[in-house]
Amino acid sequence: MPVRHTLVGNDLGGIAGMLSCCELPQIECVCPLGHQGCPLVEEVERLQAECRRLAELSHTDPLTGVFNYRHLIVSLEQEMERTRRTELPTALIMIDLDHFKLVNDRYGHTVGDAALRWVCQLWGRNVRRLDTLCRYGGEEFALILPGSRMAAAVQTARRLQKTLAASPLHYEGYEIPLTASFGVDVYRGEMGVGAIELIKRADEFLRLAKVQGRNRCCYRQQRAQSLATEVSAAERAALFPPAGGTYARETG
Amino acid sequence: MHVKPASWVTGPADAPEPGPPYIYAISSGKGGVGKTSITVNLAYALAGQGSRVLVVDGDLGLANIDVLLGLTVATTISDVLERGQEARVALVQVEPNLAILPAASGVPEMVNLAPQDREVLEELLLALGQGFHYVLIDTAAGIGHSVLWFNALADCSLVVLTPDPTSLTDAYALIKVLCQRQPQPHVMIVVNQVASEQEAQQVYDHLKRVTERFLGVTPLYAGAVPKAPEVIQGVRQQTPFLKSAPGGKATQAVRALAGKLGRQPGDGR
Repeated sequence: MPVRHTLVGNDLGGIAGMLSCCELPQIECVCPLGHQGCPLVEEVERLQAECRRLAELSHTDPLTGVFNYRHLIVSLEQEMERTRRTELPTALIMIDLDHFKLVNDRYGHTVGDAALRWVCQLWGRNVRRLDTLCRYGGEEFALILPGSRMAAAVQTARRLQKTLAASPLHYEGYEIPLTASFGVDVYRGEMGVGAIELIKRADEFLRLAKVQGRNRCCYRQQRAQSLATEVSAAERAALFPPAGGTYARETG
Repeated sequence: MHVKPASWVTGPADAPEPGPPYIYAISSGKGGVGKTSITVNLAYALAGQGSRVLVVDGDLGLANIDVLLGLTVATTISDVLERGQEARVALVQVEPNLAILPAASGVPEMVNLAPQDREVLEELLLALGQGFHYVLIDTAAGIGHSVLWFNALADCSLVVLTPDPTSLTDAYALIKVLCQRQPQPHVMIVVNQVASEQEAQQVYDHLKRVTERFLGVTPLYAGAVPKAPEVIQGVRQQTPFLKSAPGGKATQAVRALAGKLGRQPGDGR
């Protein structure tokens, strides 16, 4: 049973602070000989702290404080397994900041870094505690929404989109407008689909959002999936009795 | 109704073990077509013929077999799944060879069973069914996960419908979904609330024509139950009409139905 606690000094609060794996329990060290200020105990405590710091580094992004790519894959695989067990869908939102290169080119990389931290803070405040926000790389992010259907995921994506569009970065006298594009897909327990495959699927919709002009959200239209079991118009017509309300035998 | 726990099920068997039971899943697609009433009365009729019958309330979140029989239920399927209670304790014996496995009412999370719950429930039902000749599962209305799952578990899907066109459409939708789960599902049709045997036959013929044309499946005709005052009274009085109106037309019809369905296991299928 992993121990859950919020890491001290994490300005993002609940996001990367809620660790579900790779976490080390804190064990109090006492010198067996009862020496005050025992150098061995101090060394063990130092190593413990170092271990915790490294464990945190191994799955968080140092710049933004959100989870990193490694954690995305581990966490997504875990949620997809949960979907297979519980049939509660897992939603994945892939996000890309629009024209981010221009921000770096125009204002410099320090401002670019501040922008990355700013969007993570904004979005971190607009997702549920159980959602996992990860930096996929560069200016691309991924958000895992456990137990979420498409409609809820699209709603979340649109909220993040609008929040960012309405909240420019204020930095050293600049007001820098930022927008992002969103691609959403949902995993429903299909066999033979892994985390990488799901990321690829959501990425397709992100690419579509980019092509359609950015600052928008694209997602899979789900209509086609239910068609196989739906009663078709032809079947319905055959089922309904002819006028008069009797089930007389068809002629011709 | 006074209820005692199903002691004979838990005690040492004095009669020879009947072997694995024949499982009927009783569904309708549409709600309100009298599915639960037919299940309960069919169970009494089969038990009256000397078979040991177990009725499972498969409407796990909104159960009502207990209401139809006026039972006060202490332990339900939900207690067994959620709290790991002994399954046999939940069985309620209502007749010498008729037991009910009640479900919970007003427990929304039971409506859709998660896969791990299904594994447990399947094991549980198959183990519980060992003492019986027949297991009748009264599934929920609609074509939700649990309905399809119970039908997949059953040896035969008994589909109840009325001459009402919407009931016909919903029964067809159910059969269509069943066909997508298994290539040739064993489906039998019961037409409820009919004015005459002729009407029942017409409804069945009509449905059969459409399923044969679009699905390539021929459901079998199990029987019909007429629209009769004793059916409505039975529900209001929380007594099966088979007992309250033993000479009624509906009772005769259900006895005939039991005669037909009761022969299934001996068919050598």
